[in-house]
Amino acid sequence: MGGLSLGEKHFIQGGIAQDLRCDGRKRLAYRPIYVETGVIPQANGSARVRMGATDVIASVKAELGKPSLLQPDKGKVSIYIDCSSTAEPAFEGRGGDELATELSVALQRCLLGGKSGAGAGIDLSSLIVVEGKICWDLYIDGLVVSSDGNLLDALGASIKAALSNTGIPRVQVAAGTANDEQPEVDVSDEEFLQFDTSGVPVIVTLTKVGRHYIVDATSEEESQMSSAVSISVNRQGHICGITKRGGAALDPSIILDMISVAKHVSEQVINKLDSEIASAEAQEES
Amino acid sequence: MEFVSPEGLRLDGRRPMEMRQIRAEIGAVSKADGSAIFEMGNTKVIAAVYGPREVQNRSQQISSHALVRCEYSMANFSTGDRMRKPKGDRRSTEISLVIRQTMEACILTHLLPRSQIDIYVQVLQADGGTRSACINAATLALADAGIPMRDFVTSCSAGYLNSTPLLDLNYVEDSAGGPDVTLGILPKLDKVTLFQMDSKLPIDILENVMQLAIEGCKAIASYIREILLENTNQLEYRRGV
Repeated sequence: MGGLSLGEKHFIQGGIAQDLRCDGRKRLAYRPIYVETGVIPQANGSARVRMGATDVIASVKAELGKPSLLQPDKGKVSIYIDCSSTAEPAFEGRGGDELATELSVALQRCLLGGKSGAGAGIDLSSLIVVEGKICWDLYIDGLVVSSDGNLLDALGASIKAALSNTGIPRVQVAAGTANDEQPEVDVSDEEFLQFDTSGVPVIVTLTKVGRHYIVDATSEEESQMSSAVSISVNRQGHICGITKRGGAALDPSIILDMISVAKHVSEQVINKLDSEIASAEAQEES
Repeated sequence: MEFVSPEGLRLDGRRPMEMRQIRAEIGAVSKADGSAIFEMGNTKVIAAVYGPREVQNRSQQISSHALVRCEYSMANFSTGDRMRKPKGDRRSTEISLVIRQTMEACILTHLLPRSQIDIYVQVLQADGGTRSACINAATLALADAGIPMRDFVTSCSAGYLNSTPLLDLNYVEDSAGGPDVTLGILPKLDKVTLFQMDSKLPIDILENVMQLAIEGCKAIASYIREILLENTNQLEYRRGV
């Protein structure tokens, strides 16, 4: 966002300092979140999340694959984000790749945990079909359709909603195959297993503008930020991942302060999101 | 394979001359100057228009008329099998070009000299006829952006399988290998702006298939007109006129 005049910049900064932002929100208030599930019928699960003018779609596709040698008892999950040029003309061609990679990596860090798979928001051992031989590979694809700031939180919310919308087909494994052979499987197209998404964290991004920090910044506000810290928190209030973006350095005590604020805000966000997901699913069924 | 049953029904239960259900929505991307979602059955595309605005790359500026650009991209999840890195392959470049040329023909570019209009189309779901759906979505988005046009372009495809002309092919019928005619018309001027066909077809049959596609385009045109009218009425209501 380069087209802001000096007056506009001061207005945004002054508003944040006085706890009254341009759209009338307080510093720690989110925009209303709208969730729609099942938007991509071809996928195993999908959701569209809108927060103000930010609009993202996430889809989950499950494919049978082979678990890695190091973790024979775990399935695999990968997250890819794509920034559509509909969101911003600057994303044309390869222009959106840098942001897309930044978002993908941040989401992987926040949702998938470490290399060992420990601490992942998604229970990877529930994706195993035959230990060491067959597992489900989950491909989570996010698409940014329209961007007005706070993409990471919106993408995190859409992935959570898409996962709770996901049905993994039940798999029957043919008995009596030799140990070293690849067992034959029968994928059911009627029975689906629902995913337990209660452990999937939400992401709260605190954007620092001037001396204060705000949640759910719009792109105008993001253009004035000095740095932003994204914290993913699960339902138990545990921190699952932290990413800091932006150039300016932060005092360690401020970061700790931000974390405790994020923890507090996340409770409201999780409750809001859960009720939105539940009503979206109810609407889809009716 | 049998694409038309003896009872005269197609694989998805349609009659040969029946179109899939179409749905359009204006204003899907609030940050863009104009935008629309267009659905034809399971095919779903979003179009966003930015402009008319200052030319970003000065060397491309044209002093007599507007510069029209178009980018077509497919989402990773848009097809049945997941695919990676869809941007910039030959197929999307070709479709971008087709959409650009088609839209350029109907925009009154000479009224907007030294400016640039960007059309971005994003396929969310592909089930045959993405080309047509993209053009229809782009028309709506251009109209939403208030860009002067001669007429709007509407597009529809038709094919010929099992000795029957079929309107609006879906993915299975499209990949059957029969002829696939994609047609774009200017409904008010009654002129053809886009015409593409692959594989061979006797001329007299082509005439039938083409007529069918024109009927399809006209049906879409009347729907698009309805949607635009409704949108304008709503705008009027909001302004309190």
